[in-house]
Order: sequence, then C-alpha cells, then structure tokens
Amino acid sequence: MPTLYELINVRREFKGRAVLDISELAIEAGRIYTLIGPNGAGKTTLLNLLSFLDQPSCGEIRFGGTAVDYSAGSLLTVRRRVVLLDQYPILFTGPVWKNVEYGLKIRGVKKEERHNRVVKMLDLVGMQRFLEADAHKLSGGETKRVALARALAIQPEVLLCDEPGANVDKENQEIILSILNRVNKAENTSIIFSTHYLSQGRSLADHTLMLEHGLLTDVAPENVYRAVVVRREGDRVLCQAPGRLLLSMPEHLLVAGAKNLKLQVDPEDVAIVSGNEQPSGRNVFTGHVVQISQDRGRIRIGLDLEIQLNFFLSMQDYLKNPPVIGGKMTVHLPDSCLRCGSSW
Amino acid sequence: MGLLTDSLQSAILLLFSWDPELWLIVWVSLKVSALSTLIASIFGIPAGFFIAYRRFPGKRLVLTCLNTLLALPTVVIGLLVYSFISRRGVFGFLGLLYTQEAMIIGQVILIVPLVTSLTIAAISRIDTRYRKTALTLGATDLQMAMVIVREARFGICAAIIAAFGRVIAEVGISMMLGGNAKGFTRTMTTAMALEYDKGEFVLAVALGLTLLVIAFILNTLFHFFQGRTHADTV
Repeated sequence: MPTLYELINVRREFKGRAVLDISELAIEAGRIYTLIGPNGAGKTTLLNLLSFLDQPSCGEIRFGGTAVDYSAGSLLTVRRRVVLLDQYPILFTGPVWKNVEYGLKIRGVKKEERHNRVVKMLDLVGMQRFLEADAHKLSGGETKRVALARALAIQPEVLLCDEPGANVDKENQEIILSILNRVNKAENTSIIFSTHYLSQGRSLADHTLMLEHGLLTDVAPENVYRAVVVRREGDRVLCQAPGRLLLSMPEHLLVAGAKNLKLQVDPEDVAIVSGNEQPSGRNVFTGHVVQISQDRGRIRIGLDLEIQLNFFLSMQDYLKNPPVIGGKMTVHLPDSCLRCGSSW
Repeated sequence: MGLLTDSLQSAILLLFSWDPELWLIVWVSLKVSALSTLIASIFGIPAGFFIAYRRFPGKRLVLTCLNTLLALPTVVIGLLVYSFISRRGVFGFLGLLYTQEAMIIGQVILIVPLVTSLTIAAISRIDTRYRKTALTLGATDLQMAMVIVREARFGICAAIIAAFGRVIAEVGISMMLGGNAKGFTRTMTTAMALEYDKGEFVLAVALGLTLLVIAFILNTLFHFFQGRTHADTV
C-alpha cells in the first residue's frame, strides 16, 4: 500500500505548550486507522493537521509523497482531497439536500449530477426520507449521518472522523461505523477516526494509533484507573483503586513519594483462575461477567469489579470453559500486567 | 393641550388628503436614507466581516475607534463634511454643498461605524464550526465567507435596519449639508424643525406621525430579525 501521510518531527504548540509532538508517523492509503486516547491526548489536533485545517508549529507533513505547502493556492488543492467530520457536526441553515450538495456545488458539479449524488449519499446513510427536511430540526444522530453524507458526497480520498460514535445512540453509532467500513471497502477511501473506546476502534480498524499527552504511545489506554497509596508492606505498596480493587504493587513501579497514581492493568496479561483452583494470594479478584465480545479472533471479557476490568481470552480458552453474562469469574492480576504512570 | 389635539386632528386630515408637499418630503427622506444605508452597507458589512474574522495588530484599537464613532454627533459630521465641500473646501469645485449627494456623504459617515459594529456582533455570534465545515468541504476563503454571511443574515439585516432608522431620524447632517431646500433637500426632520420655527405645527405633527409609523415598522422588522438570530443560536 502506498504511503498517504508522512509526519516528520511534527509539533503543534498553543501558547508555547506542545499539545502534539510526533517524531515519525506513516499512514498507508486505503486503510482504516483508529486514533485512541483520553481527552486532551491530541486526537483532534492531529485530525485538524491531517485535514489541513491547521498547520504544525514545526516539522513536515507529506501527503501523497509531497510536502504540504501551506500557501493559500496549494492548500486548497490538498484540502479538497480530504474531509473532516467533526465530533459535533453542524449543518448549514436550509434543507438537508442543500447541505449534502454543498461540497459538490463549490466544485462546480452540474445540477443533475449533484442531485443524483445527494440522493445516493442520503440513501447510503439511511436518510433519504429527510431530503427536504430542515437541517436544524434533525436529532443528534440524524445530524451526524447527514454530515457524513455531506462529507462522502465529495468522494474524498481520505475521510477523517473525530469521535464518529460520540453523542449518538447505539443504533446510530453502529450505522455510522458500518458505513465507514463499507465506504472503505467499496471506494478504497482511507479512513482515520478517533475514539475513546479501544474495543470500538480495534473492531473496525486495520491499525491503531494511540496518543497520550500529545505523544504516540504503544500502551493501550485501557483499564486505566486513579489509585491512592494506602500503605507500604515491605517492598510492596497497597494501592486503592476505585471499587474493590485493592492492589498490591512492587514498590519499584511507583514514582518515589507519589500518593496519587495512574494505574493501568494490561488487558493482555490478566490471568484466569479456573473453578477448581483455590482463589488465594495477592491481586485475585472475583466479579460478574458483564461483557463478552469477539475481537480479532480473541474473546474480550468485561468483568464487573465495581469498576470494569477488560481482558482477553484466547478462542481456545474460551471454548474450553465459556463464561456467561452474569456468571462469576475470578482473575489474577500478576505484577507483569500492572503499570503505574505519573500522578493524575 | 388644545394646541396638540387641534394640530393632531389637522395633521391626520393632511395626511389623508395626500398633500403633495408632505409626500414629497417623505419621498426625499426615504430616498436619501435608503441610498445612504445602501452605500454604508457596501462598505460596512465587508469591513465588519474582515474585522470579526481576521487577527491583525491594532484590532482592539479599531474596535475602540468604531465604538467611539457610534457616539459621534451629527453636527460634528456636518461640520467636517462642510469643511471639505464648501466653496473654499478641497472638494468645493464639485458643487456638492446643499445637494442630496452631500447629505448622503454625511449620513454614510454617520452609519458606516454602526453597520460595521453590528456586523461584527452578528458574525461573532456565528458558530466557528461553520467556518471549519465550509473549509473542510473545500470552500475557498470567499465561499467560506458567503457561508458565514448567510448564517449571519438575520443579524446583518438587523444592522441595516438599525442604520436606516438612525439616518431617517437625524437632523443635523441634513440641515447643515442639505440646506433644507423645499422639494429638493427638505426631509421630514428638517421640515419639522422649520415648521416649529415658523410656529406652524400641523405639517410638523403630520410629519412626526409619519416618522413614528416608519420607526414602528423599522423596529418591528428589527425585532423580527433579532428574534430570528437568537432563535437560530438556541
């Protein structure tokens, strides 16, 4: 696959503070990428840069093998190849069809072709009934779908979506994500979307990019909890996370003297304690299964320990003793799955 | 009290008798005010858009100056323009003094700051996502500006109406630059001032009533557009 974007030492600063700092990133064409990270991680900033609505404070962005030139004339050419769907999209005043045809009209597409494309796009997002509807009278989910149709109408090479599943109900969320998938397969449109939810991202994307504090990281922001140091026991420290998670951690994992911690449990390293084993020892917890889903050939389990703990089971382990929703399950969190970040 | 009721009665009769002198005065007022408003809008709306959307050094100073100009007395503008277009002035050779053109020049100076300020206010209220959306859909700067103006159209209409209301009711500029020439530069406000000086209240009251009706219509329109602007932002 050819490289679509290349970011080299790209940094974006606001009032002297770096909100994004990427030393190197290559994004392939025709793929679906998901951008995962907590609030303030720099996801929207990165999407603004990739959509050429903003320019880096320093560094170089190459698009289609050519360094992006931010002078007005050249910028319009590259900007017209990419479209960004906002987290809270806004529709122009007027009927839905006028919104969807906007990008085509400013490109000088003929009226008849515009109409055909508008109908096709509204059909794609399941909003054909709303062709003549007043755009400002649509619900949040409908607005998002019309905004998606408006973005797709111009047949972009790249579709960037900022939290496409946010602020919409489950039904609209699934519709939007399935459209993204379809568009990628049918039109070979490259898609980059941001999300808070690792599972949502991984289920759809070919690649996952994780951002934290403006930096690309390979640590999934999953099972991240606030924790407070309760007491020290020899070379170990007892930390209270929300709910029943009273974790014993080796002292060397902690920042010296820290009382408030950001604790992470790696979902890949959580061990299952089978029924006939006696649940004993440190960091053993029992909870009810609240979520079971398939995730790239593995089974993702959500366990309710007053807070949700997610982890993976291999398909083989799952088939041996399949858990059920509401059933009890005991897990062991070995030291290898515990990580401790800087204080919150 | 008797004077007022008698004048009011006679004024209503005068209005419904379709007195040509009265209606000529009304026509001149409407024509001069409409042209002033049109010209001021041509300058004021783009200027307002530019100031609202661009960052440039001295922007705060420009906004302060605009707000100051809103309070500029009409006689000061009359005096300033007079100094340029009187026979001894730089543009004296154009023979503009005591013409409708002179009144229009003065009135444009009066309301350009008003149109600009209200346009800035209208544009600033528009959600910034409109700009971002237009740009990501491939709009040029001009096409993006058209989207913003379209979304702010009710606020901009309100600015135009407020400006028209300001000029149709002003008297200083019309008197000093127009000269209150009968059938030519006599407007409703200058005619009312003259009739008052003469002690003839009937025509003054009739014109006053007409002006009130116009002011009422303008205010109704203004509130309609203002209301639409607020409703749109909810």
